[in-house]
Amino acid sequence: MLPPASGTGIFVNSSEKVIRLLRQGCTNRPFFHIRRKNQHRPVIEQLGTFDPMPNEHNEKLTSLNYERIRYWIGNGAHVSQPVEQLLGLAGFFPIHPTSYMTAWRNRRATKENQEKSISVEADDKNEVKQ
Amino acid sequence: MAAFRLVSKCLKAENLSSAHFTIFKRLLNYSTVEYDEQRDPRPSFFNKDIQNLLRTLTRVDLHKVFRRRKLGDEKVRDPEYKFMTDEELQEALQKAQQKANSLLQIPPVVPARKPISKILSLDPELQGLETSKMVFTDITFGVKDSDRLIVVRQPDGTLCEAEWEVKNRINQIYFPQKGRSVKPPKMFQGTDFEDLLKRQEYEFILDCACIQFEPNDPDYQRITSITYQHINDNNGFDKLRSTRHFGALTFFLVWHKNIDNLLLELIETCYADEANSLIELYSKIKKVEFEKTNDLSMIEHYIKKCSNKKGALELALQAYKEMSHQKQNIEKGIKTAHGMS
Repeated sequence: MLPPASGTGIFVNSSEKVIRLLRQGCTNRPFFHIRRKNQHRPVIEQLGTFDPMPNEHNEKLTSLNYERIRYWIGNGAHVSQPVEQLLGLAGFFPIHPTSYMTAWRNRRATKENQEKSISVEADDKNEVKQ
Repeated sequence: MAAFRLVSKCLKAENLSSAHFTIFKRLLNYSTVEYDEQRDPRPSFFNKDIQNLLRTLTRVDLHKVFRRRKLGDEKVRDPEYKFMTDEELQEALQKAQQKANSLLQIPPVVPARKPISKILSLDPELQGLETSKMVFTDITFGVKDSDRLIVVRQPDGTLCEAEWEVKNRINQIYFPQKGRSVKPPKMFQGTDFEDLLKRQEYEFILDCACIQFEPNDPDYQRITSITYQHINDNNGFDKLRSTRHFGALTFFLVWHKNIDNLLLELIETCYADEANSLIELYSKIKKVEFEKTNDLSMIEHYIKKCSNKKGALELALQAYKEMSHQKQNIEKGIKTAHGMS
């Protein structure tokens, strides 16, 4: 039988616990539950959801149960990097360095693309003149 | 009336430019009237005396309160007949009265809310990370919808609190309420709304608005105010009697000093005591004193002092006086004919 979406609540005290994303959607439609879980064991508790596909208002929706997240972090749970990034963007954690790096890389890529397109246009014009 | 006044003003000024034309083309329909925070209606509305007066004016008829309604989701059941002792009957009647009271609770009248513009942090270093907004919702158990923390990370890196419109949508997505939809239905906009008004489906509109919106929502106040104005102009008061919306309608009319049509209807249908309580309500909310020497003196004083439709009201009152006089005469005649005087 599949464990319930809200988690089983069963865990071993000594095992390591991680708050991480768990892919739940179907093909081409990712949807994540943010869950506390130890590997190879059923989920302990669901702490939220994350939908990476923007909706019609161009929003990505995330829900987080801050109270339970606080509780589990207080009990020594680890947080995976994607969840750390999400919590950073939510203002719950300090912003993760990876977020800054990705933002900077994206900005650089767009700038390079723009420069390339400008230079290509300039070359085209020169050819027409000749 | 507002449209009429504006038109006459324009005619006086004698400069009917195209700009003016567009203005009163819009005003010929009804314009939104909101309750604002500078003139807060809450202290008057939640006053116990005023609530009692509004309840009296609702004219509760239990047959209408417990009538079959167009709800769509419930099957019609056969009535149940029971044998009861007198005590049990009294108890059952009391229970029905309590149920009616809860069904007739007047939707609260509160000022329209202000837009939220609270910025939590500015991080321009995050520009380019996302092309869409990120909405984060706190789904902690036991938090009220109005207190729930919902924040938005904009593509330019600003972290701010979500606007009301987003908040309502997200609350409905994560904590759905029965009967409410994520997008406001089409019946509240444009021709669909006008069509409903034309068909005088006032109760349906107001019930749906109560489910879909919070009472401090500007959209709720737009819909209700337009409906109330339409009822007032088309004399549709009887459609709302014995429903929870009649109190809110009366409060709206009194608050905006527009009770002449309602008063006229009450006098014409010979409900003088209700007309009196309407004037009492007016004096309590608007802090105006009226003389109280005999039964109809308050109404007469109101007509002299504050009314906009003096002619019609005076005529109706005169007719009412004559009719009650005739009634007394007939009763007297019957009594003498029966040899009782």
